[in-house]
Amino acid sequence: MMTWSRARTFVAGAALILAANAVALVGVAYNRSGEADSLLRLTQRELQLPYGWGLEGESSGFVLTLRWRVPVEESADARVPAMPYQGGAPAWLDKGKLTALGFDVSWPEGTDRGRMHYGKQLARETLLVLELDGPACQQALERARRHVASEEALQAANPGSKEFERRAEGARRGLVQEERVSSRLFLIDAGLDAAALRAKYPDRARYAIVRGQVRPWVIGDKTKSRLSGRVTLSANRINVPHAFRPVFEPLLHGLRRGRPEAEPPFEVAVAFGQRLEPWITAASGKTAAKTDN
Amino acid sequence: MNIPSRTEAQQRADDIRVFRQELERLEREGVLALTEAQRSAVADHHSGLLAQYAQSFDIDSDVRAKQLSLGMRIASFLGALALAASVFFLFYQFWGRFSETAQVAILLGAALGTFAATVWIQGRDASGYFTKLAAMVAFACFVIDIAMLGQIFNITPSDKALLPWAALALLLAYTCDLRLLLAVGLLCLIGFVAARAGTWGGLYWLDFGERPENFFPAAAALFFVPQLIGHRHFAGFAATYRVFGLLSLFLPILVLAHWGRGSYLELDPDVLEGFYQLLGFVGSAAAIWFGARRCWPEVVNSGVAFFVIFLYTKFFDWWWAIMPKYLFFLVLGLTAILLLVALRRLRAAGYRLPGGAS
Repeated sequence: MMTWSRARTFVAGAALILAANAVALVGVAYNRSGEADSLLRLTQRELQLPYGWGLEGESSGFVLTLRWRVPVEESADARVPAMPYQGGAPAWLDKGKLTALGFDVSWPEGTDRGRMHYGKQLARETLLVLELDGPACQQALERARRHVASEEALQAANPGSKEFERRAEGARRGLVQEERVSSRLFLIDAGLDAAALRAKYPDRARYAIVRGQVRPWVIGDKTKSRLSGRVTLSANRINVPHAFRPVFEPLLHGLRRGRPEAEPPFEVAVAFGQRLEPWITAASGKTAAKTDN
Repeated sequence: MNIPSRTEAQQRADDIRVFRQELERLEREGVLALTEAQRSAVADHHSGLLAQYAQSFDIDSDVRAKQLSLGMRIASFLGALALAASVFFLFYQFWGRFSETAQVAILLGAALGTFAATVWIQGRDASGYFTKLAAMVAFACFVIDIAMLGQIFNITPSDKALLPWAALALLLAYTCDLRLLLAVGLLCLIGFVAARAGTWGGLYWLDFGERPENFFPAAAALFFVPQLIGHRHFAGFAATYRVFGLLSLFLPILVLAHWGRGSYLELDPDVLEGFYQLLGFVGSAAAIWFGARRCWPEVVNSGVAFFVIFLYTKFFDWWWAIMPKYLFFLVLGLTAILLLVALRRLRAAGYRLPGGAS
């Protein structure tokens, strides 16, 4: 046994506990100091209310989950609905971008050796750019409108056909989803230099730079393959401070799970600070008065 | 008489009990006859020692007490886990109802309060069971403290949190003589070193488990720490370091022996699996030999356990699908007998070595 007196042991342990807490809290204070790096006004389309399943059901805290999307290629099949919330391989994440992020992309992705090489590559930390209701969102909307026009033209050319009637109805539902339900937050770029990304995307109310990870991913089979990447966000979940509980508590009552179009409307101002970590600065809901922090 | 730890006091008490039994046998068989003065001096000395140990350490004075204390050890371990879980769920259930300032104050107060309680209990608990329980709760409160700060303020997850957790666990382990906290602290350190090994290669730290080779630096460091830093006054600590060192070596090898794609090396996965299978056999055999040579039973046992696991998983790969089950299990049984014979020969060879394992 270490021959320390109890007083000395207590002082050492207390100093350790206090120092660890101090480091964490100083980091939080630094993140929230000065002008925020970006401030986005998000709605229920971009933030998911807690499900309350599993361990979450034991918690009295509220955590909102960011819903973000990736732009799809213009050439992608319009009949395949765009992911309304999350996932997929961004069209812009190609070989050149992966090289800029520090990955070795010298092997052809169509060969066995190349597939093994990219399969072994793990995620690297990167900075990601999220765009709110910008050109990527408009592009998705235009794509859905074009799809409706194309399906309605086919329906008109094939009168009485149940199949084309069903397809046109599906396309119209997709457009409504795109206009009213799907997230308007798109992942549009990645890089390693925060200053360079901010210079490229100066609008702090539309573009947020966040931390995340990118991992190379070969899409397709040997005959037709493309090198892209899978993206994850570090701070995907945002804690709701106690001051904003009155905004969200009424929203959770009567919430119909699995019906995103029926989710109650709310608006939240999310700031991303000096360390690119998010926090909620204001929130308002349909059933409660607007609260500012 | 300076007895540095409860474990050493217990060991001495056990030795005294064995000595008394053997002395009685020798006297009965007429091999040894102590004079009344000698007998009295030895008995008085031993009684004094046992009384001192019983007062200072609440040691087990006989076999029945020893059996009961095993039950107490298990109860204190399970109790510590349950209390730690209880603290976590208590906070988790109510934390959303407090302001951020109150949340931070509660988290910090719980971590400091339980640590202070552990130090206080240690001064009053000769058995050590309640100290272990309190120490586990104090550690859990500190882990919850830092983890919840991360959740409350949306802090980016970092491997650096493992360092203060390891530091507190090791502080409690060394000041309260608790091997359980030493094991917890070593697990935190293994996680940190493996994560750092991954990030030095440019990887995201949370992916460190996807490349089992990241654990090898921690394995080497842990195995050799007891060689560099003396643990004479900490019974069982050096063995714990060596066991965790071997686990950090052989478990990744076992994984790579069946999942060659997980390696850093860009070679054919089948070749890599074969390489790591061979390394597993050679490494575990070397551990048995080295442990026997250095009189480290925990190293021998770990080596034997992993040698058998490597062997049986290989047998499973080769023969489970093609052999009748009775034949497969017969082969396993015969292999166990072969292993027993080999270990017996090694033990016999150990007797002939000066200072060899017996």
